[in-house]
Amino acid sequence: MNELDKIPVRQELSVAEGNVKRSNPLANVFDELVRFCQSRSMFMLHYCTGCGAIELPPAMTSRFDMERLGIQPMVTPRQADILLITGYVSVKTLKRIILTYEQMPSPKYVIGICSCTVNGGMYWQSYATAKVLKEYLPVDIYIAGCMPRPEAVISGLRDLMGDIKSGRADNWKRYFQNYDHYLGNQQKLFGEDWQTPTDIIAEAEHYGLMTDQTLGEHTALLQKHQQPLEALEFSLGEKREKIQGENPREKNNE
Amino acid sequence: MHFYELLVELLLMPILAFVIGLAMVLMMRRIGARIQRRVGPPVLQPIYDIIKLYSKETQISHGLMHEIGIIMAVGGFIAAMTLLPVPGMSGLTDKGGAVTLAYMLMIPSLGMALGVGQCANPNGSIGISRALTAMLAYDIPFILVIFGASYVYGTTNLAEMVAIQQQQDVSSWGIVQMPLLALTALLILPATMGKHPFEIYVAPSEIATGPMVEMSGKFMGGLFVMQCFQLYTAGVIFTTLFLGGGVYWITFLPKIFLVVAIPMSVAYLFPRYRTEDVLRLMWKWPMLLGLIGLAVVMK
Repeated sequence: MNELDKIPVRQELSVAEGNVKRSNPLANVFDELVRFCQSRSMFMLHYCTGCGAIELPPAMTSRFDMERLGIQPMVTPRQADILLITGYVSVKTLKRIILTYEQMPSPKYVIGICSCTVNGGMYWQSYATAKVLKEYLPVDIYIAGCMPRPEAVISGLRDLMGDIKSGRADNWKRYFQNYDHYLGNQQKLFGEDWQTPTDIIAEAEHYGLMTDQTLGEHTALLQKHQQPLEALEFSLGEKREKIQGENPREKNNE
Repeated sequence: MHFYELLVELLLMPILAFVIGLAMVLMMRRIGARIQRRVGPPVLQPIYDIIKLYSKETQISHGLMHEIGIIMAVGGFIAAMTLLPVPGMSGLTDKGGAVTLAYMLMIPSLGMALGVGQCANPNGSIGISRALTAMLAYDIPFILVIFGASYVYGTTNLAEMVAIQQQQDVSSWGIVQMPLLALTALLILPATMGKHPFEIYVAPSEIATGPMVEMSGKFMGGLFVMQCFQLYTAGVIFTTLFLGGGVYWITFLPKIFLVVAIPMSVAYLFPRYRTEDVLRLMWKWPMLLGLIGLAVVMK
């Protein structure tokens, strides 16, 4: 029994912060305007993992036209607001999803589409599938179904719009506030040396979202194994030739 | 001109350009939607996008040059706006002229290149190198057009060009005086706006939007603002050189919107050209047309 199994994963605390009203009435009006604009302009990054992706093209194109609601596809996590996960999530895929999620700028929202993201669906008995998505990421809205029709997808997105407008969609804060919980679950799956390039703890400090749930035994484990990020080495000439020389396919061509 | 009057004009011209540019972005997206048989975005969508991008809580900066690059990109266009004559306002048009304007319009691309370079994302570097190559491709026909127009009107002052074209009816417009140069300008218009079929440097599914790949929050918002200015500038330059410019807003606005709508309506029907094909195409047909047009007006 290794060290990781001895550490229990903490329960997630529900932080009842909700819609904090500022005392200045003008600031309130400004907040409302910003939230309205955030709800009416959503750039989505669709991480098409499983079969649910097939329902997105009709939702985006002429039949159901998501652009009516201000929803457009974007291609990089830096530009995106919502992360659509459209099907079963294998352990290997989950690593990429977490990398992508952590690179998105807040406020960010996660939508789990299809039953597979809710409880594993038909992959319940699979050894290689992460069953419950919300153990690893804070999910804002689930759209259940196998697969949900485009109407259901759009209805789910409208629910999210309503949540953003009223200020209830603040699940992205939970990731910072309960980082130890999420990291614990991630470590159970990926091993104790799991790490991402994004420094979540520093970000939590920066945004003032540190709680006593942010740090814990799992983050201590992360800091123990963390290797500092180093810039990739740029090299032209010698090194490149060496790498090409090692490639067997190149040799055959010669 | 009175000093305060000039100050008000310098403030008003970029703001007006931005508002009209927002409407042009909306028109562009609506045209795209209609061609694809969609409804398209609501009327205030460009404003929602920009407010949302500026209100992001995470602003990922990759260093000082990243921020200065975006400021250069937007600032270059704001400076160019004061050189474009619009009805009732001429700003710095008499002092600047067409040549300064041509220089000023290169600053945004160079600013973007500096900013993207700091991001150190390979997709961004590929994108910006393609964008600068495309600029090299369309700038030579563009300079030919400006040169020809200046020769015909006998001045590089844009305000005077408008005055000369307004002396008679449509027959004194640039498009009648030098149709070949007008056609050249129309051909390079989609390239100056960075639209299909010359948008290989954006290429969302191949190089992940190229120069914009690392832009988030306010940086992306800056680029959205820049796009508004870009469309407006293209429309106003063409109108000023060839369509009689603007004396009244009621005739000026339809002209600039029409000029921007033409490449937009054609844009969504074509796939993209590769960068070397853009170069070959631009240096072959528009340049040939431009040179013939120049020979015709110079006789």
